[in-house]
Amino acid sequence: MDLSFLNVLFPMLLRGFKVTLAISIFGILIGFVLGCVSGYALQCKNTFAKVIANVYIWIVRSTPIIVQALYVYFVIPKITGIDLNSNTAGIIVIFLNSGAFIAEIVRGALEGIDPGQKEAGLSLGLTPFQTLLHVIVPPAFRSMLPALFNQFIISVKDTAILSIIVVNEITKQIQNYAALSFNTIQAYTAGAVFYMIIISVLIIIQKQVERRIKG
Amino acid sequence: MNSLLKVDKLSKNFGDLEVLKDINLEVTEGEVICIIGPSGSGKSTLLRCINQLEFQSGGNIYYKDKNICHKNHDLREYREEVGMVFQNFNLFPMKTVLSNIMLAPVLTKKKPKDVARKKALELLKKVGLSEKAHVMPSTLSGGQQQRVAIARALAMEPNVLLFDEPTSALDPELVGGVLEVLHNLANEGMTMILVTHEMKFAREVSDRVIFMADGYIVEEGKPEEIFTNPKNERTKTFLARIVGDDNI
Repeated sequence: MDLSFLNVLFPMLLRGFKVTLAISIFGILIGFVLGCVSGYALQCKNTFAKVIANVYIWIVRSTPIIVQALYVYFVIPKITGIDLNSNTAGIIVIFLNSGAFIAEIVRGALEGIDPGQKEAGLSLGLTPFQTLLHVIVPPAFRSMLPALFNQFIISVKDTAILSIIVVNEITKQIQNYAALSFNTIQAYTAGAVFYMIIISVLIIIQKQVERRIKG
Repeated sequence: MNSLLKVDKLSKNFGDLEVLKDINLEVTEGEVICIIGPSGSGKSTLLRCINQLEFQSGGNIYYKDKNICHKNHDLREYREEVGMVFQNFNLFPMKTVLSNIMLAPVLTKKKPKDVARKKALELLKKVGLSEKAHVMPSTLSGGQQQRVAIARALAMEPNVLLFDEPTSALDPELVGGVLEVLHNLANEGMTMILVTHEMKFAREVSDRVIFMADGYIVEEGKPEEIFTNPKNERTKTFLARIVGDDNI
């Protein structure tokens, strides 16, 4: 089999990988923080916070991510006058999108903790915040790990959609190569394999983390 | 004797359901009080109101003459002094037995870890679980978990301990170990309020027995009075049924 096409394609994939990686890391990290805050808001007693979180999640869940990408890249700059480059827009799309789904994961995990745990913390004289941090969060975090990793994997793959707003991530590079060389079979097969390798690494990390946390 | 804790005209509703009605209760230092009565009589709710895990609908609770129901009162500080042990133990599942006991003293009383650790080990010895310091709660039997929960509450050096049916979730053969710990605590002069179905224990250990039904304190008195010569019909019926089962 002639693999010489990789001489051109592989450097392109690596360039795309750097962009995919950077957008995934920033997008997921900010999305995680946003998801934790929104997930907490969903199950707290403050009606205002609850409504805000619900509206945000509803908007994200009821629109396709491709529409969200187009909206952030083309509409937001027009409305606000702030010029977004495609990579920044990409990060915003990923964190807004993953944040909403992570919020639901966080809410479920928090609601799954026996209310007796909170009562035990409070009855020992802990503040509500200490109770949340030291009593509720550790078991909640453990129970949400599988769903959380699942969302991370989805978000990494969602970066492919950003090719539509000219983010030069992996899928964009594959498309560029296919358009230049007409080697569609090689281009898309190599691209798919490349994604599989990245996601496999994530799955291995997930197994390791889950094993360690279970003790 | 000084009144340490005073419940004054306390009432509690859950929606339309009145769970507590006009509850008055004074607890003096060193007193051991057992609350008995049929299920749904409001015993646990009363205890949870005293710890402010449930908020009363009316009335007040005074601790050391301060109204803890006042909205400016620091509940956290109050709970440091009035501890609670639950029916389902509520140990923290991801922390070892030792960490369960050390957590609150380190966080709230800012005790250095080695001091808290030493105290925790002493308490584990007291409840007969020295060898279990480093295991996870899930590896313990129910009776052992409850004894750890008691040690955890004691680590805060409380003035009053509330026990909400501490042996109800246990297999019969595990009850003894927990009752023995409670017995020792009572002998040491700990002020305790227990909601319990252990009539033999209530009779032997308590200074006062309170019988509750339908949200009221129906009758209270020394254990001999309540168990041998109850005045109220409700108390009589309840005890007759229990005595039939329990042979006290």
